[in-house]
Amino acid sequence: MSKRDSSDGRDLLRRVGESSVLILISLADGPKHGYVLIQDIKELAGVELGPGTLYGALDRLERLGLIEPLPTDDRRHPYRITVPGAAALRVHLDSLERVSAAGRLRLQLGGI
Amino acid sequence: MEDSRAIRLVGTALRCYPARWRQRHGEEAAELASLLIKDGTPAGSVALSYLAGAARERLTPRPGPRLTAVACALLLAACSLCASAGLLASAAPARAASTVQPGGHPQCRPVSSEQAPVVAHAMNRPQLISWEAGHDRSC
Repeated sequence: MSKRDSSDGRDLLRRVGESSVLILISLADGPKHGYVLIQDIKELAGVELGPGTLYGALDRLERLGLIEPLPTDDRRHPYRITVPGAAALRVHLDSLERVSAAGRLRLQLGGI
Repeated sequence: MEDSRAIRLVGTALRCYPARWRQRHGEEAAELASLLIKDGTPAGSVALSYLAGAARERLTPRPGPRLTAVACALLLAACSLCASAGLLASAAPARAASTVQPGGHPQCRPVSSEQAPVVAHAMNRPQLISWEAGHDRSC
């Protein structure tokens, strides 16, 4: 995981796409399976993830080691965020906050 | 849309995924589709999302045993190509020198006595022998 962790401050989530970031945010407060993820993301961001998009993003995040499936006998597979996943999310949110603050400041300076 | 028709449509879309994906997510994906359709999501939209996902899944290259095998095959092909090129390069002077021997090739005419000095003169330049000896192509 040395290549993939966010301990060096690199924003790993810059290129994974919005849906992957939303999934990580949704998993940040506890494990969830597909249907609950879709409902939660719709509620928190107003984005309706298609099921095909959801599974693509889940597979990508799992390959990156940012989430992991929990063992279950049920056909529904819950996922949880991993420690590197939480670190990557933190770095990405910090980066978004900086960009957001800069944007607001420039709008203020421009008087628009 | 009728339930059975919606299920058929989603089933068709799910069959477009690779077998390993269906093995892992197939049952859950079918259940998720039925829950979403029950919630009011159009079946066509769910099927379309799965179709796009299947296309992405098939088009995205994954590192794995198959890719490793392809990489090994390519490496092997490159190595044998280099070895062949090396062999050809080392054999070229010997092949060129062999063209001075009359009758070495079925289409080579024997060197006549009046052409002999020309051949002898060209001994240091083997690539010119075929022209000066009157051959219509390089031997």
